Amino acid sequence: MFKLPNLAVAAAAIVLAGAVQAGPLGIGSTATPEMIAGWDIDIRPDGMGLPPGRGSVAEGEPLYEAKCASCHGLFGEGEGRWPILAGGEGTLDTLHPEKTVGSYWPYASTLWDYIHRAMPYPAPQSLTDDETYAISAYVLYLNDIVDDDFVADRESFAAVKMPNEPNFYIDNRPDVQNTRCMENCADPANFTIVTTINGVTPTGHFKEDSGVAANHYGDSEPAVKAVEVAMSDAATAGKSVYDKACQACHGMGVAGAPKVGDASAWVDRIQTGMASMSSNAINGYQGPNGVMPAKGGNMSLSDEEVSMA
Amino acid sequence: MTKLYEPSLPKLMEAIATEAKGMRGMDRRNFLKGGIAAVAGLSSVQMIPKANASANLPPNLPEWQSYLGRGVVAKPYGDPSEFEDLQRRTVPWLTADAASSISMTPLQDLEGIITPSGVVFERYHGGIPNVNPDQHRLIIHGLVERPLVLTMDDLRRFPSVSQIRFIECPANGGMEWRGAQMEALQFTHGMLSCCEWTGVKLSTLLEEVGVKPEGKWILAEGADAAGMSRSIPLEKALDDTIIAWGQNGEALRPEQGYPLRMLNPGWEGNTSVKWLRRLEIGDQPWHHREETSKYTDLMPDGRSRRFTYEQECNSVVTSPCPEKPLMQRGFVEIRGLAWSGRGKIKAVDVSLDGGVNWQRTELGELVIPKALTQFSLKTQWNGEPWLLQSRAIDETGYVQPTLKQLRDERGGWSIYHKNSIHTWNVTESGEVFNVQIT
Ligand code: HEC
Ligand code: HEC
Repeated sequence: MFKLPNLAVAAAAIVLAGAVQAGPLGIGSTATPEMIAGWDIDIRPDGMGLPPGRGSVAEGEPLYEAKCASCHGLFGEGEGRWPILAGGEGTLDTLHPEKTVGSYWPYASTLWDYIHRAMPYPAPQSLTDDETYAISAYVLYLNDIVDDDFVADRESFAAVKMPNEPNFYIDNRPDVQNTRCMENCADPANFTIVTTINGVTPTGHFKEDSGVAANHYGDSEPAVKAVEVAMSDAATAGKSVYDKACQACHGMGVAGAPKVGDASAWVDRIQTGMASMSSNAINGYQGPNGVMPAKGGNMSLSDEEVSMA
Repeated sequence: MTKLYEPSLPKLMEAIATEAKGMRGMDRRNFLKGGIAAVAGLSSVQMIPKANASANLPPNLPEWQSYLGRGVVAKPYGDPSEFEDLQRRTVPWLTADAASSISMTPLQDLEGIITPSGVVFERYHGGIPNVNPDQHRLIIHGLVERPLVLTMDDLRRFPSVSQIRFIECPANGGMEWRGAQMEALQFTHGMLSCCEWTGVKLSTLLEEVGVKPEGKWILAEGADAAGMSRSIPLEKALDDTIIAWGQNGEALRPEQGYPLRMLNPGWEGNTSVKWLRRLEIGDQPWHHREETSKYTDLMPDGRSRRFTYEQECNSVVTSPCPEKPLMQRGFVEIRGLAWSGRGKIKAVDVSLDGGVNWQRTELGELVIPKALTQFSLKTQWNGEPWLLQSRAIDETGYVQPTLKQLRDERGGWSIYHKNSIHTWNVTESGEVFNVQIT
């Protein structure tokens, strides 16, 4: 049977909230300043939301290399298909526009906000405010927007101007006007019929031939699947850690990270012994194939959780 | 007849595709033609496992009628027949990682205007969070008289509405800006779904918190790993935005934002923030990553449009389509879907000759603002090639544009908001190909 919560207590809470002055329906509780402070993470172009703290380009460099470069490249050039963060100036009106932080983004505040809320990709909201200042400064430096002696804090960061800011304008659609013509609306003599490029529609669905290199779609079978089959019961405890923090790099063989199930890449490493591998995973290291961030970039995992993954 | 072999059609197509894999050029064309022509004959064999197919056909007693079937609650939450093959599909080369990717709705296999919850297209920027609804909260704060924190139970106490509305990713069709690419309706138009959504109007919640006069914009933020955030103008919020917990008669699916999402009817899907945890009222927009780096439209002069919220009037023929070729000569009902982010669909026309001549179609019974609307044209096909197109007109009088009109204005690099008239080339074999007329 469904039991109602103690209504008397609920009613008391409403009376209290009522004292603060209730809305028309009197539903909900007051959001306290402490609750709001924990969640209110947004930054605006006018600097609203930027917290106290500081970080320099010089401090940002090692942080970026440890936590970001494995996906975005040492110079922001992007590894594999991971996003490019730098370059592309002067390309926006060409046939090959390259939209990056430097060439496209209108506001520097967006960079702070986004890195802090969503990066590093496998461990969002794990960076401190100082780290976010330092890494944001470094990404701006990679884009030649600040000099190498730049120190970011609330004031200096809010003052950064981005070169592409003037080139955005409010939606002005509808911008085209078709008419409802019913007869003889076009001259078929002028038609050029363009068909599809062979080989870009994914296979396993229905018809397709293999017009382009297999890696365009052949690698779609996620390596993670192989893990599910191959893993022992004892290892499944580590699976959820893996899914959360490690799979982003190890699931796809990104930036030199050995793929789970990619036997040849793991053999050498397994031979160095599980203990050393696991200490590498915990502390982070620069191997021959790339940078493995400490705990996969997710500082909130306990050491035991990492060893099980 | 048609009904009988439809269930196994996708499997056959797959078999044909596997066979055709190594072939190129004319070989491939011929094989596919032959393969598809053979579908009707093969399929009945495929459909009934083990037994001789004709054993179930009249005048015989079908096998499944000869013993008792499954009883009640054998499946407390049912699923589709095992003969169905309804699935979302993705284009793996588009993105680097499945947690920041997209999958498409199988429009070619759907009936009516409602998208079943299990095949609503997916778009995540940081995967699907596994939100416990008892521990989920919506905080509304900023330029308000009474900052509130609401539980799911609190939200359900508000007056509620249920509305059928489409959601479309503004990148729907975006792969086709510079040329025809995708040989499948699912991939050319499948970032589109339509459901019945239940929730509270955002305007009701805003009355409850009391927006201060300086309040002009709302930041909506998700509880996912991407912390998805978008700036929504107050006018939209007061007009028709809903904060939804229900979808097609049950709780939202995790893929669609369980337990709570924003829904901005008719606007680009990304603004309908999922796993909604926070609304902040401010006096100006935030210009976050998804409204600067992404979801802005680059024009040929190198400048960009921002806040391109509306999904303009669009339509597509869903049958025939590359996945649903014409199987028989004679009578055919051309079917399709039309939608507009600005309101109701007023009319849809169909052309068989690439837009030279047009015929009016009949709309489905349900014509709902900002929802998918069916259209149908009953005609004959006798093996002549078609350049099949549809053109929708909405209640504002806007006529769906041609691809050339869009390209002349916007070039080929804007990624988003490609709502041009689409062309299927129906060949004499009944096969259907995606083409563009330039
Ligand atoms: C595991 C790979 C990975 C790592 C490590 C990573 N990122 Fe990212 N980054 C991504 C992905 C994927 C996206 C795109 C997410 C999306 O689709 O919304 C992205 C997007 C970005 C963007 C926005 C790019 C654009 O043009 O819109 C910036 C800026 C960024 N990352 C900065 C960083 C920084 C700084 C770090 C280190 C603190 C970092 N990233 C670590 C994968 C990664
Ligand atoms: C940002 C990408 C990234 C993430 C996230 C990541 N790794 Fe790695 N990892 C790498 C790269 C790159 C290497 C290969 C370094 C080399 O050998 O050059 C590596 C190597 C390893 C190795 C082998 C180390 C050795 O001794 O050879 C282990 C074990 C490992 N990772 C475990 C993990 C675990 C567990 C997680 C999740 C907690 C994780 N990784 C998350 C990029 C990543």
